[in-house]
Amino acid sequence: MKWKYVTPLLLLAALAAAPQFLPRFHTYILAIVLLTGLLATSLNLAIGFGGIYQFHHAVFYGVGAYGTALVLTRTQLPAPVGLMAGPVAAAALSLVMGVICVRLSKLYFGMLQISLGSLVWATVYRWYSFTGGDNGIPGVPVPGWIASSESAYYYTLAVTTLSMLALYRIVGSPFGKVLQGIRDNPVRSDAIGIDVKAHKLTALVIAGFFGGVAGSLFVVIDTSVFPDMMFWTYSLEVLIMCLLGGMYTFFGPLVGSSILVLLRTYVSIHIPYWHLCLGIILTLVIVFLPEGVLGYAARRFRPKEGRLA
Amino acid sequence: MKKFAGILTGFVFACCMAASGVAGDTIKVGLVDTYTGPVTTYTYDVRDGFKMAVDTINAKGGVLGKKIEYVVRDDTFKSDVGLAMAKELILKENVDIIIGTINSATALAISDLCKKEKVPFLVTFSKSGKITGEKGHRYVFNMNENTDMIGRATATVFAKKPYIKYWIAGDDYEYGHAIADSIWNHLKSLNPKVQMIGQSWWKMRETDFNPYITQILAAKPEFVIVATGGGSMVNFQKAAQSTGFNKRVPFYQHTGIELSTLMPQGQNAPEGVFGTANYLFYYPDTNENKSFADDFQKLYGRHPKSGALYGYMTAQFIAKAYGKAGKVDKEKFIDALEGMALDSPIGRLEVRACDHQIVLPMFFGVTKKSPKYEFLVGGDILSVAGKDYMPTCEEIRKERAK
Amino acid sequence: MGLSRTTILFIVSSGLSLILGVLRIPNIAHGSLYMIGAFSAYSVISFLGGGGFAFWAAMVVAPLIVAAIGFVMERGFFSYLYEREHLMLLLLTFSFALIIGDLVKILWGTEYRSITAPGFMQGSAEVFGLPIPYYNLFLLLVGPVIAVFLWLVVNRTKIGKISRAAAVDAEMVSAVGINVGWVFAFTFVLGCFLAGLGGALIAPMTSISLGMDHSLIMEAFLIVIMGGLGNIWGALLGSLIFGLAQSLGILAWPQFGIVFPYLAVVVVLTFRPKGLLRSAW
Repeated sequence: MKWKYVTPLLLLAALAAAPQFLPRFHTYILAIVLLTGLLATSLNLAIGFGGIYQFHHAVFYGVGAYGTALVLTRTQLPAPVGLMAGPVAAAALSLVMGVICVRLSKLYFGMLQISLGSLVWATVYRWYSFTGGDNGIPGVPVPGWIASSESAYYYTLAVTTLSMLALYRIVGSPFGKVLQGIRDNPVRSDAIGIDVKAHKLTALVIAGFFGGVAGSLFVVIDTSVFPDMMFWTYSLEVLIMCLLGGMYTFFGPLVGSSILVLLRTYVSIHIPYWHLCLGIILTLVIVFLPEGVLGYAARRFRPKEGRLA
Repeated sequence: MKKFAGILTGFVFACCMAASGVAGDTIKVGLVDTYTGPVTTYTYDVRDGFKMAVDTINAKGGVLGKKIEYVVRDDTFKSDVGLAMAKELILKENVDIIIGTINSATALAISDLCKKEKVPFLVTFSKSGKITGEKGHRYVFNMNENTDMIGRATATVFAKKPYIKYWIAGDDYEYGHAIADSIWNHLKSLNPKVQMIGQSWWKMRETDFNPYITQILAAKPEFVIVATGGGSMVNFQKAAQSTGFNKRVPFYQHTGIELSTLMPQGQNAPEGVFGTANYLFYYPDTNENKSFADDFQKLYGRHPKSGALYGYMTAQFIAKAYGKAGKVDKEKFIDALEGMALDSPIGRLEVRACDHQIVLPMFFGVTKKSPKYEFLVGGDILSVAGKDYMPTCEEIRKERAK
Repeated sequence: MGLSRTTILFIVSSGLSLILGVLRIPNIAHGSLYMIGAFSAYSVISFLGGGGFAFWAAMVVAPLIVAAIGFVMERGFFSYLYEREHLMLLLLTFSFALIIGDLVKILWGTEYRSITAPGFMQGSAEVFGLPIPYYNLFLLLVGPVIAVFLWLVVNRTKIGKISRAAAVDAEMVSAVGINVGWVFAFTFVLGCFLAGLGGALIAPMTSISLGMDHSLIMEAFLIVIMGGLGNIWGALLGSLIFGLAQSLGILAWPQFGIVFPYLAVVVVLTFRPKGLLRSAW
């Protein structure tokens, strides 16, 4: 048994056992931590490993959630179709947006993506008859086998684990390595014959797909969707999670999102100034710890370790 | 490496698992509302009216020998935040009841949650008709008026007026459309002669009403119904005043004569605006109302607005319902609250058993300057009693069956 | 028709355009500075008891307060971090936006404020038989005045020319012996002043509340990118397009009116990703 597998397995076992010991509220929060971690990791595929300025990732999260919610509330299609519809819709949107934006780079890519994303947001926000407009869609009928808070949690744990596994394999695969090469030196990659645009586009679609998966998980846990899920401020929050945890590590975003979700939940209860705290934390991280928590740890404790940690 | 990640995550998580006390010797109320942004002018009053009542009740020994304890959360007018806070209050703080919020979307989401968790939810300021209508259920009560009631009451008043050509305008979101549709549908059924010659809808938080005002004036309607939400009431009146809109064509706004709308504008508020209010501290000029308003003024240094009445009465109903139930049991509480009627500063108010909707009188008036106050008040007040306009229980049953 | 809001958008966007064009900082806190401008104007007017003098005082003092804050931000943080990636700068400005947002909450409370235009500007004029408030006419005058003023500063003054050069090649400029740091500071402060001015000017027209930063910042960003970074006329053009798209959108399809400006931005950026007019970089 390789040593490096022990910790994640232990963690997984702990997470699986958690609902048996914890009060329901903590199980709920843990589920949110998991799906937000998946969201952040999917974003990191684009930004950390691909170097693509994915400024509006929340759109895919939102579309994934709305896709699932709409199918479950408006059609009689079986639940698994709904659960898949969200991520597929997110991936499709990602493809369309990607095709429009991919020839730009850096800030311009980011801004065009924000404008496209805002377009989607504005449409969802105003289309009451279809998307519930600014009210969102509360009370989505989630199928019985994942309706209770415990079963919803296990479903989330299962899907998140599988998705993280898939993303891990993708990052470690030849595709992933080429993507990182493109991030580090796009001109050189192009020069040696790599189709930079195709790689970026693929990365975007994958990132969008898993962002959508996170969205559909949110519907299962919370049984409601709101247009705020795809507002640009949330996109930046997810970006912060990646930065906080470490953008160049695989588990960094998960760590970052755990910290942020937990802080946000417990700090907001006691202090009405959560944004102030978040702003200060972010400033400190940018100035003193730009590689993020895991990045820093990787450097301190294992200086010879490669990129994937 | 992963070891570090695992340990760190576990550590952070463990740190945050604060055990919360299980309240056995108090009645715990969770209050979720918006305490950020323009709507605080309404929500602070709800909280303060509630607090005033609770402090008095607790000073007299509480209910069933227990004190009423309440926990407050700010949902910043976002539905996802409100829902998460309601969840936290129910699952972690183990509250007995949830009350709040001003955002109808949040209210509907929390209503759905409370239905699942079987916790009573008393709505204090959201006005969507869906709350006790289409989406009503056993666990939700509405302690303020809803858009359907507003429409019906307003229609009964306007059906008697001579205006025929109407223009409808308002904030382009659910609340705006709900009020406008409700008013118009009921008006048309009471007075088939009325015609709608046009509509204008602007985005929420719109600041520049001039293009719309221009458009409306050009069409020359006899009367304009302006369905603005809380955030735009003052902005629209400001625009009306600066363009002289109120002098060129009469218009109506729900809550147009309320203190929340008129006070921030001081002497610059437009005159001659038709409006409704659910509470006015100066009308009716009864002893009950005066003493309520004076108590509130003494405690908080300001005149009470309609939110104060809702908060105050919500507390009274909670206390009386638990008293009648005999024990702190959610189901018994609901049974006791259904059909309960209590005296209030503005008369006797009843929470209907069939739909859990409180029945309120509505006050109609026209803004005018007052020698007594530095803000405008409503003049020529006409009050419409609840029984004269409420939908019947049968109509509600049909709504929910949809 | 909605031109007064366009004026405000232009003033704020031109500030952002300068900051983004010359210092290459995607300043998300720009919206928060605009908000401080509005709140400060409120405080100044309330403190001076309203009336004409208070109004003009507020129009000068509020932007100066914001400019001072900008100065502190620039000297305290940005001057050390210019070489960082855009992403980091963007997130840093976002953190400032978060902090400022809550600071405003702490300093001014969460209630909303309202101020009215000074007496002589209340009421409206009849233009083609329709009422246009005097205050809106005032804004319509202010817009072009600011535009011309900025153009003069950027193109005719020495410091303006230096900052344009620094936008293109900062290293070269410092090699020639000019203290680039102060040029950057000046540009940043000017940009912040404009944001504060925009906030102060819109204060009598709208409710001053938390959250006004979020609604404005995205529009300002899109306008700047649409118009060309660092280009004042670009900001003007972008604001006009944005405002026009919104007005037309509302007329054409009221329910989805707000979608049209974003659509316009997408169309422009798809065909001219660096903006309609010349960008600094």
